[in-house]
Amino acid sequence: MRLALLCLLFWLLSGAQAAVVTQTLRPGIVASASYLVGDRDKPAVLLLHGFLQTREFPTVATLAGGLHDSGYTVLSPTLSLNIPMRAQSLACEAIHKHNLGEDVDEIARWVLWLKKQGHSTIVLAGHSFGSLQLLAYLSGRPDAAVKGYIGASLIGTQIGNTLDRRMLIAQLEEQVRSTPRALVSQPLSFCRKYTSTPSDLLSYVRWDQARTLAALKQIRLQTRLIMGDADGMAGHNWIKALQHVQARMVLVKGANHFMDGEHEFDLLEHTLEFLEHIGGASAS
Amino acid sequence: MKRPVSISIKQIALALVTGLLVMVSFIGGFAAWQTRNVSRTLERSNLEAAQSELVAATERLFRRTAAQASQLARWDETRQQLVLPEYYTYWRDQRVYEGGMLNSRHTRAGLYDTLGQLLAPSPARHSLPDKLPYSVTPFEPRSWIANEDGSFIYYHAFPVYSDEAQRGLLGYGLIRVDFMAELLERENFHFIDMASVALALKPGETMSPADLGSRLAFEARANPSQASFQRIMSNTLLALFVLLAGTALIAFIVYNRVLVRPLKQLSRDIEAMQQGRFNPASTRGQGMHVTELDTIRRSLHEYQLQLRELHGSLENQNREFRSQARQDALTGCYNRRAYEEDWERFREELKHAPQGVAFLLFDCDRFKTINDTYGHAKGDRVLTIIADALVMALRANDRLYRLGGDEFATFLARTTPAQAKQIAQRCQSLIEAAAFGDIGINEPVGISIGIAFCGPSQLEHIAELPKQADIAMYTAKQPGRNRIALYGEDTERAAQTLVASRETSALFQALATPGMIEMHYQPIHGLPDRKVDYYEALARIRYNGDLIMPGAFLPVIASRRLETEFDLAVLNQVDADLESGRLPASVGISINLSAQTISRAEVVSHLLELSRHSARHPLMLEITETSLITQMAEVSTYLELLRTVHFRIAMDDFGTGYSPLRYLVDLPVDVVKFDISLISKLAHDNRAARVVADFARMMSDAGYSLVAEGVETETVLARVQELGIEHVQGYLLGRPVPLEKLAADTGELPVQAAHRA
Repeated sequence: MRLALLCLLFWLLSGAQAAVVTQTLRPGIVASASYLVGDRDKPAVLLLHGFLQTREFPTVATLAGGLHDSGYTVLSPTLSLNIPMRAQSLACEAIHKHNLGEDVDEIARWVLWLKKQGHSTIVLAGHSFGSLQLLAYLSGRPDAAVKGYIGASLIGTQIGNTLDRRMLIAQLEEQVRSTPRALVSQPLSFCRKYTSTPSDLLSYVRWDQARTLAALKQIRLQTRLIMGDADGMAGHNWIKALQHVQARMVLVKGANHFMDGEHEFDLLEHTLEFLEHIGGASAS
Repeated sequence: MKRPVSISIKQIALALVTGLLVMVSFIGGFAAWQTRNVSRTLERSNLEAAQSELVAATERLFRRTAAQASQLARWDETRQQLVLPEYYTYWRDQRVYEGGMLNSRHTRAGLYDTLGQLLAPSPARHSLPDKLPYSVTPFEPRSWIANEDGSFIYYHAFPVYSDEAQRGLLGYGLIRVDFMAELLERENFHFIDMASVALALKPGETMSPADLGSRLAFEARANPSQASFQRIMSNTLLALFVLLAGTALIAFIVYNRVLVRPLKQLSRDIEAMQQGRFNPASTRGQGMHVTELDTIRRSLHEYQLQLRELHGSLENQNREFRSQARQDALTGCYNRRAYEEDWERFREELKHAPQGVAFLLFDCDRFKTINDTYGHAKGDRVLTIIADALVMALRANDRLYRLGGDEFATFLARTTPAQAKQIAQRCQSLIEAAAFGDIGINEPVGISIGIAFCGPSQLEHIAELPKQADIAMYTAKQPGRNRIALYGEDTERAAQTLVASRETSALFQALATPGMIEMHYQPIHGLPDRKVDYYEALARIRYNGDLIMPGAFLPVIASRRLETEFDLAVLNQVDADLESGRLPASVGISINLSAQTISRAEVVSHLLELSRHSARHPLMLEITETSLITQMAEVSTYLELLRTVHFRIAMDDFGTGYSPLRYLVDLPVDVVKFDISLISKLAHDNRAARVVADFARMMSDAGYSLVAEGVETETVLARVQELGIEHVQGYLLGRPVPLEKLAADTGELPVQAAHRA
């Protein structure tokens, strides 16, 4: 009952102040984002959705609303995945004509967009695969305005249990050479049949748990991982691995991968706590 | 009243059965007609349902296609293809189906750029136009139906925008639907026979979906319930008809066996009864299935037996009655009825077997006098004796018929005139020898026999035999004859017969025509001065200028019983003569009357009227003593009455009758007229003359006034005068003369003329 009332409140408030912003990423590809303007003194949060989802995914939308309510500016883009004004979750079986590089590029474009809006302190927050895509962005040449990273339910690229990743990568690399335009289908993340070109698929497949941990280890930003100890998709080994690399991590008891239900408050609480910390640090 | 036409019971049964079948046929026909109406209504409803079903199906198809178009237009992957069409065919052939945008193999989708060019050629099997044939207005989809090689394809084109706000046109989408296949596969038709669905669209021609209703032809699927209903109704009606027809046939057979046959048998039996051919034994053993009919049959049988017994009894009685009816009760011989029947039959037989035939007619002489004198009982006995004698005289096979009164007849077959005469003579001989004395009749009783003969070659005249025999009979009765006469034997008799016939005609004409009877007056002289005291009026008949004398017509009067009519005619004529005044005054008139007429009231009345002349002419009535007076007291009374009006009563022809003394004693007689047969005896000197003389004196002494008739000689006149008889009458002193001559002789003028003189 309490949760229902809260959702209703968030919807009313967010609906009243949200703005959809777009920018043309490539010829014919226009991407959109929800831009919630908050306190200029506080860091702006770039909040990214999970694998093939949109900014309307409940965990993300709820978190965006909560952050904005707390006075933070929140930009929630929907990755285009090379679809103009994509507004729907992209099916696993759809033709995935996009790759991790393009995703990272889109993140960079939205970071720049935020900077253009006058936000000098930017915190990147992602959920699930979005956390991985943000991590990929951070592993490259992140913008200096980016001051912090929140990875909720961070997860590496999963390829199923049927094939060894190295063999898969080798096959894909071979296909990239031999039949680069051919579509291949491969279990990826929660998709059992993910259809894409070899090169695009390869861009995601390379980010296994090891590379993810390495990237996480290499980040020089303030980092906060918020993980659920009931996250069935990540598994206990993944949590232990994260603990092994001594990542700053908050483990929410009983929360699953989507941090839904009452754990949305835990997610918001830990996010706000991290943002307050970032805000205080940037101010000092 | 017209008798209604009768029909047989079988016809009634047939009519009933036919009527029943006609009624059943009519009801069946009506039910079939109603069933047909219901079927037609159901067919119409079925057709309307089919039409509604087809319209609804096509509308659903259109709506579904429109919804698919809208979904496709909003689908991210559609927009992706319009931007990055590298894998368009994969999207077209797989993704639209995997993604749930299209869900039928008969439905295809294609994408066109903003210029309307197809992104990639489509397979031949599901070809899409390379360029959109119609300009699709942004924001407005466009659809049409085309006939492509006999297949009806429904196209729905729609615009695809970059976002929900439709700010940028990315291109166009086109959905291709195999119209008929989609309808068949997606729709579950209950009322339409899809094989009959056709679209009036020529190959290569297109049309708007709005015109679909007018171009779509279809047939409703046969409603199994309706067909079942109709089949059940037809079977039911047929079964009902067969059942009723069978029942009617069985009923007719049963009806025919139980009722018609027995009734027909009864009818045949009754008809046989009517025709007298009924055999009770033939139906005795045949039982009937219906109690009432069996009762009727048994009753009929018993009735028939009783009827037969009764019929036998009636036949016996009838035979007896017939015999009695043909037999004369008095004499035992055949009667007139038998005569007529036998004579007719005999004439018929003669046509086939010609032979000589003699007809004999017998008549008893003076039988009436005998009857009147001796009474009917004696008369009957006389007839019986005559009949017995005649039967004995006839041949064995000859039949004697009593025609009436004392008249008998017989007809003799295979005979000749001589044989007939011989038989007639035998008859007379036997009658003469008959013992009439045994019954107290001493007078001779004879018969007159008239014979008519017809030879085998003259049978065409056989019908004349009775009449000829009658004429011969008349001839035989003439005085001086030997009482047997054969018709046509000689000319004399024929002439007499002719005269007789003429006199008969004259008599009847005279009775009907006043004036034909002419009175002649013969004087009656008083003695001794021979002065004429009376004239006796004597009747004659003037016929064709000839004068017919009483001897000729009196027998006719007697035989025809015309006494009263004749006497009345005489009285009329005498009255006329008296009225004329041509008779000498103070001379009496004596009038002859038969005794029978005296008792007739009209005669007496006429006499009373005639008495008005008594002052000028004393009147006297002469009653013939030979005539029979049966009603003695009544006649005596009338005579007494007439005496009071000054009529004198005379007994005429005294001495020729049967009982003169009785008349003299019982009747008020004033005058006795001695017959000529007595007066003529006075001419001789013998015992008869003495008896007559003594009798005349005795009568005179008794106070009777006497008249001598037939005085023709002076001798007789002298003798009459000697005996003291007061009046005489005869040719000696005067013959009868007609009135004209009398008036001329006496110088009498008619009364009127005398008065004038």
